[in-house]
Amino acid sequence: MNKKRLILISLLVLVSLILSACTGQIPSNNWQGLAADAERAYISNGAFVYAVDLKTGNEVWHYPPEADSKLMFHATPLITSDGQLLIGSAGTKHPFVSLNSATGKENWAESFTENKGAWLASPLVYNDKIYAPNTDGFLYIIGLDGKKAGDPIELGGALWSAPATDGSLLYVTSLDHHLHVIDPVDGTTSDPIDLGGAAPSSPVVGSDGVYVGSFASTIEFIKPNGLHEVIAKTENWIWGSPVLDGETLYYADLDGKIYSLDLASRSQNWDTVQPDGSIVASLLVVGDQIYVATEAGTLVALDSEGKAVWENPKTVGAKIYTTPVVSGDLILVAPYQADFVLAAYDAAGRQAWTFTPEK
Amino acid sequence: MWDTIIIAPMTNLLLLIYDLLGHGPHMFGLAIILFTVLIKLITWPLNASQVKGAQAMQELQNDKEWQDIQKKYAKDKEKIAQEQMRIYKERGINPFASCLPTLVQFPIIIGLYQSITHALSVTPFDMLKLARTIYPFQNVEGIIPLNSTFLWMDLGRPESIPLLGFALPTLAIIVALTTYVQSKLTMPTSSNPNDQTAQMTKMMSIYMPIMLGWFALNFASGIAVYFIISNLLGIVQYAATGRANWSNLLPGRNKQQQISRKK
Repeated sequence: MNKKRLILISLLVLVSLILSACTGQIPSNNWQGLAADAERAYISNGAFVYAVDLKTGNEVWHYPPEADSKLMFHATPLITSDGQLLIGSAGTKHPFVSLNSATGKENWAESFTENKGAWLASPLVYNDKIYAPNTDGFLYIIGLDGKKAGDPIELGGALWSAPATDGSLLYVTSLDHHLHVIDPVDGTTSDPIDLGGAAPSSPVVGSDGVYVGSFASTIEFIKPNGLHEVIAKTENWIWGSPVLDGETLYYADLDGKIYSLDLASRSQNWDTVQPDGSIVASLLVVGDQIYVATEAGTLVALDSEGKAVWENPKTVGAKIYTTPVVSGDLILVAPYQADFVLAAYDAAGRQAWTFTPEK
Repeated sequence: MWDTIIIAPMTNLLLLIYDLLGHGPHMFGLAIILFTVLIKLITWPLNASQVKGAQAMQELQNDKEWQDIQKKYAKDKEKIAQEQMRIYKERGINPFASCLPTLVQFPIIIGLYQSITHALSVTPFDMLKLARTIYPFQNVEGIIPLNSTFLWMDLGRPESIPLLGFALPTLAIIVALTTYVQSKLTMPTSSNPNDQTAQMTKMMSIYMPIMLGWFALNFASGIAVYFIISNLLGIVQYAATGRANWSNLLPGRNKQQQISRKK
């Protein structure tokens, strides 16, 4: 083989490799989902879902036992009252799985979507039924035994976040710019509420209505009668869910600004609080402290006046997109593509442990 | 660097065209087609030099001095190469002019693929990357997420049509065919089996359809739409010169031509 031919073939192979390596045809790259109960933290970290002992930071189990390239887990796991861990795959195969949260053993795994859509959203369990939103725009209704419990409800747009309920109706946000309201009794839907932009996170239900943030950089308030209005604006997209604490609504935007809205007066409680980096994760309110995880990789604790509680913010060394979770005295943080996948801090900001999966 | 120079401008241009088209169903496919036309217009001078280079190479095959050199130094490959280089230099011919534009396309192809993936944002992480890519003057809140439907395809996924229990990759086949046609039309014929440049061009006409067909088979169908439109425009551009060698498309035709020339 002459030199020119060798160079040409090498060039073609190189280009093929570059194109293959820098892209991917499956929705497999995303940040983790994190949940916890009193004993364990559960983290979906791509190929595996891990259960981690909260006392020691050691692995309790992982699922699946062996890596399967067709399975990818990014959704926030849901722990049910009967000890099931529910999560769906966002790989090239899309089973929706129920695990025993104590042992990691598979209770059931079913594909309800004919493999069309991925599971990026956490489900909601309501009246012993699982309501699971999918990226194919359908809300799937599944029994806790893994059997189909109703016809899927077509909502439209990709569904990335868990439904919320006020005890009688279900509220589902969609990337189709709408909040969908569903009566779970008969599966009927009301006219969807136009939010003006895609809504990637769950709505929050208050005593007098529902609050939703969206890429329209607004907080929309929806009353039970369907009337809705913009009650606050931000300067960039709102990604995480707003958090309701009494009469105060906390939310943040991609500029990294944190807002505290007094719902009674519709006025901001503070001027500008902007720790560092964009904020994608939802805020976490525990007692009188607000925990903020930023893309700059810091965990910040604020008081109700927006002042920093810790002398120095905690730096985890990688971007944080996953909403922090509280369990007992621990604040759990899952940095994206860091040396460890999970870190635990106490209320004073001291690191209790980190968890790194065995290779 | 790559993102700033290639991905961001491409993604923003795609979004701008999509927005101008009314951002409904099928409009992202149309945006890719218009984007391809735009790229073709920008690279027009480069393609024109490709056409010119290919024509010069074709004319050279019938040149008496060229043919004499082939005969005279038939047993001395090194000498043939030296003499060929001398003629190229004397006549201002770039032997790689016909394949260079194809290679220049690669950054565009890679960039376009990433731009399509960016723009369609199938995961939150992709969407976040898109948010970072959008220029401040673009007001895209109303058009995100993009509607990836185009005709029967989802532009974010590989395409196939179910037929008799099989998934027929229609676009991949059309990509391979149009790439083959384009490369054959522009490929200079050579009467000399030892002509290395002609051998390289011939290899390109075999490898390129296979490679681009493979891309179309495995990656988002939006990139296949780009390949097809780009190939068709290339064929039209070459045919417009009136020098397209349509007989090259027939298998074995070159051998017949070579035999008749020898006679």
